[in-house]
Amino acid sequence: MNILVTGCSRGVGLEICRVLLEQGHTVYGVARSCPQEFKDLQTQYPGRLQYKSVDLSDSEHVRENVFGDFVTNKVQLDGFVNNAALAYDDIVSNINLDRLKGMYEVNVFSPMVMTKYAIRNMLLHHTKGSIVHISSISVHTGYKGLAMYASSKGALEAFSKNTAREWGSLGIRSNVVVPGFMPTAMSATLTDEQRAKIYARTSLKDATSVRSVAETVAYLLSEKAASITGQNIHVDNGTI
Amino acid sequence: MKEKVLEVINMIRVAKNLPLVESVTDNTRLREDLDLTSFDMAELTVRIEDEYGIDIFETGLVNTIGEIYAKLQK
Repeated sequence: MNILVTGCSRGVGLEICRVLLEQGHTVYGVARSCPQEFKDLQTQYPGRLQYKSVDLSDSEHVRENVFGDFVTNKVQLDGFVNNAALAYDDIVSNINLDRLKGMYEVNVFSPMVMTKYAIRNMLLHHTKGSIVHISSISVHTGYKGLAMYASSKGALEAFSKNTAREWGSLGIRSNVVVPGFMPTAMSATLTDEQRAKIYARTSLKDATSVRSVAETVAYLLSEKAASITGQNIHVDNGTI
Repeated sequence: MKEKVLEVINMIRVAKNLPLVESVTDNTRLREDLDLTSFDMAELTVRIEDEYGIDIFETGLVNTIGEIYAKLQK
């Protein structure tokens, strides 16, 4: 399968690429930067991990930047994984409109535009494709400082549910993976005490496994998940 | 260009088990006369864009064959 993955260079995105490559798929990854760990994966799987540097904060040009000369109509797209995201951590009384808009560009507007063109690619090739958005447990369990970030992920969950309903008759599926807190760069600003508190709110009393999140994404992209659409799959260690 | 538009319309109609149309005019309506649904028109847009690089739905819905020609001639 040919899968487009955003935010591919680190954290969950990198792990999603790794799992998909292990399963024999070809990955078209976009991210702002291309760190050594990603380049190592490219070396390990020659020709199967394509990369383009794209800044998803520019939703106006996301179409030409991603679909113009990278994932063109010549590539039959089987899946789209919307993983790239920007965290904006502050309390509501401090909202800065420019930062809020900047986060929505990356977390909501670019993903919606990319979904549009992913579906168009699937229409052209009559592909029963699969779309997977990465959300956050903060949508379902409130955390201080995450109201703005959680709102952007909540928008994606609603978008996915309705995309599933709209395109289901053509066999195109859309689902969301809702990870719990993971030890990735996105949560790097948390103190150990904050982390311990967050993990204590989970049934398994630990950080969510990045590998488990990536494996779930790969599952939703696969034929094994042929009857799963419009769902939010929580991979969150049983967050209460 | 007109032949290509007709070819795409027939490609979509055949997939829906509808008979081929031999010709269309500027006034032929996509929904009422050609039985195209919003999904069919989405596919029509994608196929025309793939051929001509023009998104006929970019600035709003089109209803007739003539409106498609107009967008492609701009």
